[in-house]
Amino acid sequence: MTLDDIPSAAPSLARLIQELNKLPGIGPKSAQRLAYHIIRLPANEAYDLSEAIQMVQQKIVFCDECQNLTDKSPCNICSNPQRQRNLICAVEDPLDILALEKTRCYNGLYHVLHGAISPMSGIGPDQLKIKELFSRLSSRDITELILATNPTLEGEATSMYISRFLGSTNIKITHLARGIPIGGSLEYSDSLTLSRAFQGRQQF
Amino acid sequence: MSSAKYYRTEALTLKNMPLGESDLLVTLYCKDIGKLRAVAKGARKSTSKLVGHFEPLTINNISITKSTNLDIINQAETIEDFDHLKSNLIGMAQGVYINELLDGFAPESHSNNDLYILTHNVLKKLASHSQARLPLMYFELHLLRLSGLMPEIYHCVECREELSPECHRFSSDYGGTLCLQCKPPDSVIRNISLSALKVLRMLHKANVNRLPELKMSPSTAEELDSILRNTIQFWLDKEIRSKTFLEYLRRSTADTIYS
Repeated sequence: MTLDDIPSAAPSLARLIQELNKLPGIGPKSAQRLAYHIIRLPANEAYDLSEAIQMVQQKIVFCDECQNLTDKSPCNICSNPQRQRNLICAVEDPLDILALEKTRCYNGLYHVLHGAISPMSGIGPDQLKIKELFSRLSSRDITELILATNPTLEGEATSMYISRFLGSTNIKITHLARGIPIGGSLEYSDSLTLSRAFQGRQQF
Repeated sequence: MSSAKYYRTEALTLKNMPLGESDLLVTLYCKDIGKLRAVAKGARKSTSKLVGHFEPLTINNISITKSTNLDIINQAETIEDFDHLKSNLIGMAQGVYINELLDGFAPESHSNNDLYILTHNVLKKLASHSQARLPLMYFELHLLRLSGLMPEIYHCVECREELSPECHRFSSDYGGTLCLQCKPPDSVIRNISLSALKVLRMLHKANVNRLPELKMSPSTAEELDSILRNTIQFWLDKEIRSKTFLEYLRRSTADTIYS
């Protein structure tokens, strides 16, 4: 969408619609609705929103250690002395850390890859934070690397790539279990999930 | 395809992308419909009955409802998951390369049953054949043939004379082999060795289920790879990204990456 596509709107409003339209999942109609909603907001709320956007742009950086998004490097997790420093859990996305932290069953460190290998989209290992992971592993006393990539073709490719190139090291490489989700159904599960669930079965 | 509101088909998933909060936009190659884009509603929720069914390189029996815009997938039952390819990195990269080629060459909603059978057979063959490059080359050549773009490999494309041994060259943009006398203007001409030409002819006539365990020299394999790649890129008019990744995997070793 360009400014010429919104001839009837005031230039400042048209610009706001155009900028909102660039956000993922926001189409032209949603952009218009959001823009008119922002106009109707009390002035202080609209300024808070714009200030919050400016602040994240100015303050958020990559953590030098885990590559997570943070406002200070090293981040809270990497600088926490209570965490187990010999464990690293590699995830695709910063949001995955939030999901794993909610479980409260892991107390090690993380490494954010910022994506997964996707040959069809042109995303190769060099576009991800894989080299940073390898240099971290070679310079620290890490005993286990937990690969917590998504169980998709891209996530599996990323895990296989990492484990392939770490095969000759002494680091134990594990990945999260695959299988039936709680609340799921055997009847509707695909065959690959079922076969992985069988391979990973545990003593009751 | 019938005019009914619902229809069933067998389909290979080529790729998927997130749509909205929990849906997937899936690109399929269907046995009797050809390439199709459809929505799998809620397929990204962990408890959805469709979750896991639409990963690339999966063949499902699916039930679809027609819609004014994108058709909606109602049910899916996996009949082939190509686990042998997905459980190793090179196999997965080869499978994704086949998907990218199929996605690039197949027009939407244009049925080509032979192309579907070719893809299915080559995907099955990739794991069992000792030289995985040969089934891939077979796929590349027959994909061109079934798309009506088969390069000429028996005669000179310019003068139509039958080729004599050791007296031939190749031009991707001119449509195949040329004799030494013909030099069409504005065409990119390269040499092609007799052994490479023989392998191309063998692949043209062979059956994928009875592909010979051919011992190709590395130089012949590289030459054929380059000829087929140039021809495919000429027709697709774009870089095949998964091929680049596949070659990167073949070249790379642990020592060069882990430092």
